[in-house]
Amino acid sequence: MDFRDGAHNLYHIIVAIGYLGLQLLWYFMQIIVSVWYHISIVGKLRYLAVVIESEEAHQTSKVIKLLQWLDSVGVKNVCLYDMNGVLKKSKDTIFQIMKNAKSIEEVNEDVTHHAPDHMTLEFVSYVDGKEAVAKAANLIFVENFKRHDIGGELDHQILLESHLNQALQIVGCKGPEPDLLLVYGPVRSHLGFPPWRIRYTEIVHMGSLNFMRYGSLIKAIYNFTKVRHNYGT
Amino acid sequence: MFSLRLPIPLEKTLITSLPKTSTTYSAYSGMTRFQVCHRYLSNSITKRGTSVVAFQDEADGEIFVDEDFLEVDPLPVELQPELMPKHVAVIMDGNGRWAKMKGLPTSAGHVAGTQSFKWIVKLCYSWGIKVLTVFAFSMDNWIRPKVETEFLLNLFERSILSQVEECKRKGIQISVIGDTSKLPKSLKSMIANAEETTKENPKFQLILAVSYSGKYDVVQACKSVAKKVQDGLLHLEEINENIIEKELETNCTEFPYPDLLIRTSGELRVSNFLLWQLAYTEFFFNKKLWPDFGKDEFVEALSSFQNRQRRYGGRH
Repeated sequence: MDFRDGAHNLYHIIVAIGYLGLQLLWYFMQIIVSVWYHISIVGKLRYLAVVIESEEAHQTSKVIKLLQWLDSVGVKNVCLYDMNGVLKKSKDTIFQIMKNAKSIEEVNEDVTHHAPDHMTLEFVSYVDGKEAVAKAANLIFVENFKRHDIGGELDHQILLESHLNQALQIVGCKGPEPDLLLVYGPVRSHLGFPPWRIRYTEIVHMGSLNFMRYGSLIKAIYNFTKVRHNYGT
Repeated sequence: MFSLRLPIPLEKTLITSLPKTSTTYSAYSGMTRFQVCHRYLSNSITKRGTSVVAFQDEADGEIFVDEDFLEVDPLPVELQPELMPKHVAVIMDGNGRWAKMKGLPTSAGHVAGTQSFKWIVKLCYSWGIKVLTVFAFSMDNWIRPKVETEFLLNLFERSILSQVEECKRKGIQISVIGDTSKLPKSLKSMIANAEETTKENPKFQLILAVSYSGKYDVVQACKSVAKKVQDGLLHLEEINENIIEKELETNCTEFPYPDLLIRTSGELRVSNFLLWQLAYTEFFFNKKLWPDFGKDEFVEALSSFQNRQRRYGGRH
């Protein structure tokens, strides 16, 4: 009986040690995978844009959950867009819950180079796209005509891409070109996201926000890290 | 009475004496020949029984089909004519990778790509699409080796030159958008001639984006607006996005905004193409390389477009 009890206890100890070992191995692998994701992502994905169809953008809790997922995988700079400005109205609620997030207006340095201790959020709508380009162009025209009025050259050909870039910054469009743009909604379209900012942006349609999945998000981001940009070559 | 509904193998058609013809490929020395025409053979006979004339190249036994003799391609049953997009835009990506996979020089990929291009023009024309815009040469492509850019522009010039009269006959209007200042004189002259020749009574418009970038388009539109202000035609207070839109180069068409954008080769970006115009455009990204993009893939893109729910966010 003693032998049997001893064998029984030994068996249980071995099983417990084995189970503990497997758990430790599992946590260790999770840490390795997370670190590997962070290393893959942080270098390549400097700025992420999320486009949400305006009707779905009313689901603030889902938007916050999405931001928390992004934060957990190391994506710190996020631009949120919906056409009608619904997300802009939810800004305060989002910042109340995302306590480690700051608005892009509060960040003085280049948003893609700040320390990763907080998230930077930018809220954008249709008025920040084509209307902003029209305002920026208007600003350049006004400056040009002012210079002409005080004896300077009037040269409408002076308008270059770089001038529009600078003017857009002045009218309040501070955000850089996103590396990746995720579209949540029924339509595979970017729904008017600022056109000046999507030259080489990868665009991925994620489906409805109602059915968003953590796994799909990770997959989209991971696939992006494997992309090689030719830039015309 | 025999039916011509089913495709009839070419060897059973009445083909008498076949005139010899030099292929478009032979104009480019040093290029390896390759077989690209198999899909033309499988769609050789239309419902109306128009026969296809096959030209056999005696040099190496390859058969090339001159698609100038092909009639309108019937609409597949899975597509609904009332739901066809009015304007389709295409980024024809993957020629170089296609050639590399086949062990061919890059130039061979571009030549193969022109066949896919001609095919998609024919299908758009046949199926009631009003406008097709293709990204033939990006402003960003100028950084490629000079040999390649010269070859591409030469290929472009020859392709258009050979199709201008056919386009005029079929009511296909050719328009070119982009910064043409960097293009060779002969090409600029050919473009002007093609646009002038084909501008009357168009049933279909083909827009070729050459040396084009979306940002360039917006900048040139703003310059045009500034000139109008300077000339007293506009006041500064009147400038808004609609004024800028009217000056974009895509204003050469009645339907300047693409309903559907197709990009091949698996890349998921617009690469500085029609940035302003793509706000509500549906994207269809296909993994096939451009020379392999054919009728089946185009039907898949159109079918996907027709099935999706299209919403404009309350702005239209």
